[in-house]
Amino acid sequence: MNTMLVAASPHRSISLRSIAGRIGLLPALLVLLVAGMSAVDPQFYGIINVLNILRNASLLAIVACGQALVIIAGGFDLSVGAVVALASVVTAKTMAVTAAAFPGSNALIIASGVAAGLGCGVAVGLVNGFCVAKLKVSGFVVTLGTMSATAGVGLMITNGIPVYGMPEIFVKGFGRAQAFGLPTAAHVALIVILMMVFAQRRTLFGRYVYAIGGNVDAAVVSGVTIQRHIVGTYVVSGALAALTGILLTAQVGSGQASFGGDRMMLQSIAAAVIGGVSLRGGVGRIEVVAVSALFLTILGNALNLLHVDSRLQPVFLGVIMVAAVALDELSRRSKPRV
Amino acid sequence: MSDLELSVAAKDTERPKLTLSRRLWSAVLPVALVMLLLGFAAVDRGVLSPANLLNIAQQTSYLALFAMAQTVVILTRGFDLALGPTVSMVSVGSALMMAGAAASGHDSGTVLLAGLGAGFALGIACGLFNGGVIALLGVNPFVATLGSYNIAIGIATTLSSGRPVQGVPPLFSQIFYGGSLFGVPAAIVITAAIGVGLHLLLARTVFGRSLYLIGTNPRAAAVAGLPVRRILVATYVLCSGLAALGAIMLTARTGSGEPNLGGALSLQAIAGAVVGGTSLAGGRGGVGTAVLGALFITILSNGMNLTRIDGYVQMVVLGAIVIIGVLLDRLRQERRQ
Repeated sequence: MNTMLVAASPHRSISLRSIAGRIGLLPALLVLLVAGMSAVDPQFYGIINVLNILRNASLLAIVACGQALVIIAGGFDLSVGAVVALASVVTAKTMAVTAAAFPGSNALIIASGVAAGLGCGVAVGLVNGFCVAKLKVSGFVVTLGTMSATAGVGLMITNGIPVYGMPEIFVKGFGRAQAFGLPTAAHVALIVILMMVFAQRRTLFGRYVYAIGGNVDAAVVSGVTIQRHIVGTYVVSGALAALTGILLTAQVGSGQASFGGDRMMLQSIAAAVIGGVSLRGGVGRIEVVAVSALFLTILGNALNLLHVDSRLQPVFLGVIMVAAVALDELSRRSKPRV
Repeated sequence: MSDLELSVAAKDTERPKLTLSRRLWSAVLPVALVMLLLGFAAVDRGVLSPANLLNIAQQTSYLALFAMAQTVVILTRGFDLALGPTVSMVSVGSALMMAGAAASGHDSGTVLLAGLGAGFALGIACGLFNGGVIALLGVNPFVATLGSYNIAIGIATTLSSGRPVQGVPPLFSQIFYGGSLFGVPAAIVITAAIGVGLHLLLARTVFGRSLYLIGTNPRAAAVAGLPVRRILVATYVLCSGLAALGAIMLTARTGSGEPNLGGALSLQAIAGAVVGGTSLAGGRGGVGTAVLGALFITILSNGMNLTRIDGYVQMVVLGAIVIIGVLLDRLRQERRQ
């Protein structure tokens, strides 16, 4: 059945009704939530709150895009939260060290820091991909292992203490800056989402990822080089998680091993799943995942503004997650199978 | 891997042919355990002292219980990410119930029964929710239990306002933590009894065997006329029930209801089961693999603590061990075929 969906998806995207069917209730829920909150609390559409929502939604969306890609290929990436932390720490540390060696040369300092941070993400992604594709260990277990190891390395580097010493311009001119009224993170997220949507629809890599997730055996028979593309999905996921770590670091102004963590990892999976990515692989679209990340962020923000006890908030997230997937599953059952 | 291959592999495990190489492979983990113990003992004599060995056994019994709970659902190609939060919720719920019952002046026997009843009721409710959502609504176990993970955390922290719940009667701790049978601490006795019972259940009953069949080939199980949905619900209830028992033992150890008790337990329990050789593809594993895995992880962290290895380095080592353990298991499987 999965292969059928894959094969049919390019044509399906044309018909309006099927788009509504694929995206599901999410946009409607989002509009409802925004309208309801605007009516209840004028603070909700205040510029400060909107910027806050955009910033957080962008960070989550970037991680969730990578996570979605891995899940579409039939895997899992539990290590993203830990990669966010490691990239943050390594970026800050590298910048501090470079700044001490070459004081004043900001371009060099920032370039080295960002490169080191992204490098960490790519490295963890390569390890994940290698173990999954070449050694054939289940993605869940591999990333469970690298999650623990990556978090450990992040803490080892810092001893749990925030790392300072980044150039002023990186924090004020990049992390906390706004262009055209939008925070930096939103611009980066938009670029990432556009690139990922393009990759999913118009590149061989994107189509192969669907093919691998839909039916590995069929993909092998069709001549798809499975291993390279699986490694690719994990590398993209690691790099995007690292990018989020760098953005967070620039925004907060210090590198911290407490960024990301289990919360970010679980939220990224939640965003992907609520955004219609099937854990069976082969199904899912980046743009819906981004909308779902926005939805989750606004939901959390709304619960805060409504003074719902922060301890009770996970219950809402849990119920919505299960309900979204259950609805999806039930609607799929009621559709006739060809 | 296709269903066919999996069922062939499962048939292999059911009737072991004791060739030499297979005996060697199945001895890898126990040998590694002994080597590990001796290696740590070379650095620090204290590792092999009777007091520390007893300590290891006691520590292992908790993790082994949770790994067994996790194994039961993993056998059916499932997961229980909500195991840790379930533990927190049961701990808080039973402590609140006992504190309330004690405050309203009931005798200690009633208080204990009320606490146990509340704990198991919460655990079973959690299992029914998981099983219902997974088996009846057809939601992927990962998502379903990730959902109940959040719900259970929310309930546990809301009930307790995020603080430890005091007022657990001393008798409760005396029985489930301080108690002993012929000098063996309660935790070890309980886990051993549960282990034997669960092994018999898995190996000798229709219910147990059907778990393996559902894990190796769900379609074949349905075609064979097994009530797959009902069995799956029962499996998740069993898993959460075992988690509730572990939560009660842990609550007795700390002497208070802790909303943070579960923390990383879900993933630790999965790691324990998987390192011991339980297959995430379903249908392979049992009480033995869960206990071996739990023992391995406990000895490793106990030894690293005693040899004063930095806690952050320990995280890296544990992560590497999980991957290597599964890799070895993978190689072992390839040998068999």
